[in-house]
Amino acid sequence: MIVELGHFALVLAFALALVQSVLPLVGALREDRPLMAVAAPVSVGLFLLVGLSFLGLTAAYLTSDFSVLNVYANSHSAKPLIYKISGVWGNHEGSVLLWVLILVFFGALVGLFGSTIPAPLKAATLSVQAWVTTGFLAFLLFTSNPFERIPSPPLEGQGLNPILQDIGLAIHPPLLYVGYVGLSITFSFAVAALLLGRIDAAWARWVRPWTLLAWVFLTLGIAMGSYWAYYELGWGGWWFWDPVENASLMPWLVGTALLHSAIVMEKREGLKVWTILLAIFAFSLSLLGTFLVRSGVLTSVHAFATDPARGVFILGLLVLFIGGSLTLYAWRAPMLKQGGLFAPISREGALVLNNLFLSAAAAAVFIGTLYPLALDVVTGEKISVGAPFFNLTFGPLMVPLLLAVPFGPVLAWKRGDLLAACQRLYAAFGLAVVAILFCYWLWGGKAALAPLGVGLAVWLMVGAVAELITRVRLFDVGLKRGVARLVGLPGSAWGTAIAHFGVGMTVLGIVTASAFQDERILTMRPGETVELSGYDVTFDGVAPRRGPNFQEDVGLFTLRKDGAVVDRLEPSKRIYEASRMPTTEAGIHTAGFSQLYLSLGEARGDGGVDVRVYFKPLVTLIWIGCVVMSFGGLVSIFDRRLRVGAPTAARSRSKSRSALPAAAE
Amino acid sequence: MTRTDAKTMTRKQKRLTLIGAAGVVLAAAAGLILFALNDQIVFFQTPTDIVQKGIPHGQRIRLGGLVEEGSLRRSDDARVDFVVTDTTSTIAVTYQGILPDLFREGQGVVAEGVVGPDGVFVADNVLAKHDENYVPKEVAEALKDKGVWQGQN
Amino acid sequence: MMFWISIAALTAAAALSVLMPLARTRQSLALSSDGGPAGAATGVPLDADVEVYRAQLDELERDLERGLINKADHASARTEIARRLLAAEEERTRRLQTPERSVGRSRRLATLAVIALVPLLSLGLYLTLGSPDLPDQPLLARLEAPVENQSVDQLVARVERHLSQNPQDGKGWDVVAPVYMRIGRPEDAARAYGNSIRLLGETEGRLTSQGEALTVANNGIISAAAQQAFEAAVRLDPQAIKPRFFLALALTQDGSRDAAVAAWTRLLDGADETAAWVPVARQHLADLTGTAPAPALPGPDAAQVDAASRMTTGDRTAMIEGMVAGLDERLRSEGGSAEEWQRLIRAQAVLGRADAAREAADLARTALVDNQEALAQINALVAELGL
Repeated sequence: MIVELGHFALVLAFALALVQSVLPLVGALREDRPLMAVAAPVSVGLFLLVGLSFLGLTAAYLTSDFSVLNVYANSHSAKPLIYKISGVWGNHEGSVLLWVLILVFFGALVGLFGSTIPAPLKAATLSVQAWVTTGFLAFLLFTSNPFERIPSPPLEGQGLNPILQDIGLAIHPPLLYVGYVGLSITFSFAVAALLLGRIDAAWARWVRPWTLLAWVFLTLGIAMGSYWAYYELGWGGWWFWDPVENASLMPWLVGTALLHSAIVMEKREGLKVWTILLAIFAFSLSLLGTFLVRSGVLTSVHAFATDPARGVFILGLLVLFIGGSLTLYAWRAPMLKQGGLFAPISREGALVLNNLFLSAAAAAVFIGTLYPLALDVVTGEKISVGAPFFNLTFGPLMVPLLLAVPFGPVLAWKRGDLLAACQRLYAAFGLAVVAILFCYWLWGGKAALAPLGVGLAVWLMVGAVAELITRVRLFDVGLKRGVARLVGLPGSAWGTAIAHFGVGMTVLGIVTASAFQDERILTMRPGETVELSGYDVTFDGVAPRRGPNFQEDVGLFTLRKDGAVVDRLEPSKRIYEASRMPTTEAGIHTAGFSQLYLSLGEARGDGGVDVRVYFKPLVTLIWIGCVVMSFGGLVSIFDRRLRVGAPTAARSRSKSRSALPAAAE
Repeated sequence: MTRTDAKTMTRKQKRLTLIGAAGVVLAAAAGLILFALNDQIVFFQTPTDIVQKGIPHGQRIRLGGLVEEGSLRRSDDARVDFVVTDTTSTIAVTYQGILPDLFREGQGVVAEGVVGPDGVFVADNVLAKHDENYVPKEVAEALKDKGVWQGQN
Repeated sequence: MMFWISIAALTAAAALSVLMPLARTRQSLALSSDGGPAGAATGVPLDADVEVYRAQLDELERDLERGLINKADHASARTEIARRLLAAEEERTRRLQTPERSVGRSRRLATLAVIALVPLLSLGLYLTLGSPDLPDQPLLARLEAPVENQSVDQLVARVERHLSQNPQDGKGWDVVAPVYMRIGRPEDAARAYGNSIRLLGETEGRLTSQGEALTVANNGIISAAAQQAFEAAVRLDPQAIKPRFFLALALTQDGSRDAAVAAWTRLLDGADETAAWVPVARQHLADLTGTAPAPALPGPDAAQVDAASRMTTGDRTAMIEGMVAGLDERLRSEGGSAEEWQRLIRAQAVLGRADAAREAADLARTALVDNQEALAQINALVAELGL
């Protein structure tokens, strides 16, 4: 019963979403309060219904109910519990259901906690959110129904793609989806503002925390996906410019730009029209990413759904939402009041610069990702746009942006003083120069650009710290008062500094891991030793082993440094029984922030085996930096000042409310 | 630009400066993209293309086809040599590194690299994707054109 | 019944979530900015913009204190924000004074639309998409259902589950192997015999059955693996008829004429003339030596495979017939590959049921109508069997 109830709940949600698409918006346009008031309870109702539906599917997975086609095709009774659960979204239908669940979850958050958002804006926003929901529910019900049944069910399922039987990949899609879909709320806010023809000052204050929330999850999701590819694919790389990766990078870049332009809008009422456009683009790129992954237009590592009917449907949705919102933008944007002016050298100016470079970088990634597809469609010519293209375009666009980052927070609003800003950053500049010289001394001319990269990273990190220190005049007012002032700084100031520091860490990791990576590819026979970056790696032999649902050949390696054993690594080649699918598991030794990475190739007849060994200095900083960035975002979300209109003391003290995301108040 | 300049700027000048800066950045970005598209994209070729067109030595291409049965030879230092065929022509490929899990004789493969002066293709990247029945998209289409491919799709 | 009640409750709740706010009186909403719980909404200023500007003014003071801006900038910014604040206040007053429009009609329409649309659309759509009469079928419950209610497939699945957890249970493999043969899964039968041989040891019977399963799976052609099994069986019991019969058949299939003649002759030497396999063996011998009159039992190799099984004991006959019936039933209900249809036609012909074979051929043609290659194979087979 639970399965069919889940199915019915999904259909009912579709009907309810249709109502939600119309009534509150009509109410908002006609200033009819009861009609607007429909939005909040219905948004919660939609969440409960889709949630029930999701539970129904999960229950079917947990009980191995193979009368559900989706379960039969993607599960297996012998699968470990955790992968039965992750199997729910490890397939096309389930992942779209999760997508919709997150969509209505964000709607419900606005409905429940947006009590201070002006009623027309809230109603219109929830209506727009319901348009997207309706579109994707239709997509689910008519092309990808997860509740299709088999009247006489088979007794065993067909298992899950073993490459997906990984804890990293079990968590990665939900994180990424929260990021992707979180941008839908910003989109709905933007379209609602266009429909109502009015952008309140309050608008920016609500948009920024929502964007931040989505951005935090998107950052974590991308970092997690990158780490997963690093240790699971066995290629030793952490970013492949794979179209699926690019699909998540593009909304991230535009989302980051949006985050910064929303600051200008919030503080200075500038860049309104531009911010709206960014909000539309950010979610459009999320939709595009969903299209690329879900339609199977790219046959790539992640694309596990291939069905042209679905592709056409999503393409229709894509055209409808992106085309519709951009048309609306072209029509309504000129009517919006423009905000305050500012000098080119000012915090606004710096943020505009940030936006320019981020948007240009997003455009470069966009072209690099879609050009091969477009060319294939138009001329039939097959080309590939790989890392060299992106290194040549994305890299040069990032460098000036990163150079400018420390200036942003130290410049004043409206009219800045570049000289004064430089004075506040001289320490960072000095340390960066020292770092560059030190690197040249350490590595000589081995890689000419790398020390400059290290210098850039130091400049970013020290610049972030310097901003905080000079802001409270730590050295002028004495340590004690200075620290007190530091603690008293608003969350957004801390968030900015932490996030910018994280960017520096990621840059440092990227530079050192790519420029100073030590790599050996060789065939080793038992007993042989290879020396790499001060480590002696000895190959002891290959041993077969049995896992719960796979067989593997494990390479046994002993890692010594200065003669002492520091670790034993066991990279392996696995064959999953149900699907006879081989996978590679890398062996990784972490020392500080650096890693030694071992990946196994084909075994030779004589007991030898192909081995690829890397030493990647400071490589983990790439992901740690992303986590730090996300943490900065979180700190900024919880900045009390963002909770506009928390007028009474009693309410702001209420703990339960202050723990809720952001925008809320 | 100094502070006094900024102060004395009119509204119009401020706008123009901004638009100018934006124009410069966008023009630079567009230039970079066009340059990179001209220079850094890699064309997909089958062995027949290479034999007929005569790809200049040193130009990066993606070579796609089937790994010829019985052609795989492994030597020390993880070096592998194999032959890629589209059943009309063949190209010898040499590669140092770890082959992907799904690399098999008789299966589709895409190798990226350059044709050496001796006519041997030196690959620095070999791809086979994570699907047992997977034949790289380009390979499947190229083979279908030749009427060799008998896959379901 | 529970299901329909739940559906009705869900639909009612969904409709109510729309109707409740619509039905609420205007008074209770006049002060609140939204339809959330009235308590939470009271006391919230109508225009949040005012709050934003106040917060900005505070921040401006802090910036001045920190020295981020100079006095002159501070003053001008202050003026600017104050201007915005005033504008916001005016806007707020204006909106408070605007009387709410009369909305009675649109709301009544909305109410009606919701009452009609939500249940109609969701029920209509669900009845087309859903399968309300299909209950949940959790695997565990299905497997634990009383034995007498379970189909053979279900019982096999139970045994398979047991064996996947206890793969060392040789007896289990021994039990399931002939069942696999009966339900038309010779490949699995061969694997099961292989496991029981590995765990319980080689016997003539198991080896012969394994070879037989491999042969059936291979459409009657005796593969190298099957031949090894028969040879091993003969080593254990040199007098066993069945493996020797298959080995002779293998030689015949290979075209090793002299060796085959010798094998058949040895097999027939001192055989019980009433045994059912004897005519088949004689026929082969006659075919090979070219001295035979009209064939008593015409048919290709697969025919003899099945025939051989039939000859030994009555049980075998029953089993083969059961197997063919099972295959027949499965192909009729679920369809199958061209090879499976061919196996059925051949088997029916061999059992001497020409009508049934012709019927199977007709069914196969219908089932495989889209597959030219398969149709050609079926027609060739029909011609070969002389149906």
